[in-house]
Amino acid sequence: MTGLSRPLLRAWAWLTGLSLAAALATLAPVPPWAVAAATLLLALAKARLILARYLDLARAPCWLSGTMLVLALWAALAFALYAAPALTP
Amino acid sequence: MTEARGLDALPGELMMWVLIVSELMVFGAGLTAMLAMRLTDPASFAAAQEHLFQTGAALNTVVLITSGFLAAQALAWRRAARRMAARAALAGAAALGVLFLWIKGAEYAAKAADGIGWDSHPFFTFYYGLTGFHAAHVAAGIVLLLLVAWRDAPQNIEAGAMFWHMVDLVWVLLYPVVYLLG
Repeated sequence: MTGLSRPLLRAWAWLTGLSLAAALATLAPVPPWAVAAATLLLALAKARLILARYLDLARAPCWLSGTMLVLALWAALAFALYAAPALTP
Repeated sequence: MTEARGLDALPGELMMWVLIVSELMVFGAGLTAMLAMRLTDPASFAAAQEHLFQTGAALNTVVLITSGFLAAQALAWRRAARRMAARAALAGAAALGVLFLWIKGAEYAAKAADGIGWDSHPFFTFYYGLTGFHAAHVAAGIVLLLLVAWRDAPQNIEAGAMFWHMVDLVWVLLYPVVYLLG
């Protein structure tokens, strides 16, 4: 089918690549906390693409930044809760 | 031309954004509660998580983002007055939603065959609660996509696609916490 939107196609390609990277990150020979940090960062990157391109929030940069700030704070909390047991004696 | 400010700058229906934010808060609270519960016994949570079908979940991520692409493309085509192409894209998005549920169903069936239920471990209570609630949204989204393919006014397709992207957005945040953070 012709007339595919190039920005949407590009967003889909990035989302697919980031999803593959998240799946492969779990196989990397690195500490679990590093895998957790990487997968949460990849999830944030995917969320930004969905918000900006699929939901068209790129047209409202202030709302996109605000939403991403809230999601980033949540991801930081999620990482802190995940990593806390490893930091306690 | 003056630039839209505040709520007027948001693309699409304001109420759809209220719904999206509400759902993000609900799932965010659920995922945070799961991670807080994990603090009580991280080793058994990690052992329980090893029973999950990670490959299926990764495949489902690609299925949903591809479905989201088709839903977004459908709106672009409808705005360009390409009604049949838009309808075909919406039908494709809905079909991928069915595939997502089929893979999810196979995952649940495998757990049941292993004797794992929602009360087997606190991790599985959260796993079934969060993924089941998300699956219910996928099922509702499939109905919505087919409905707007039939009643295909651009604003209808926009609302249906926004709901579907919300389902997509929730999944990309749920997937690492439930399936990957062992």
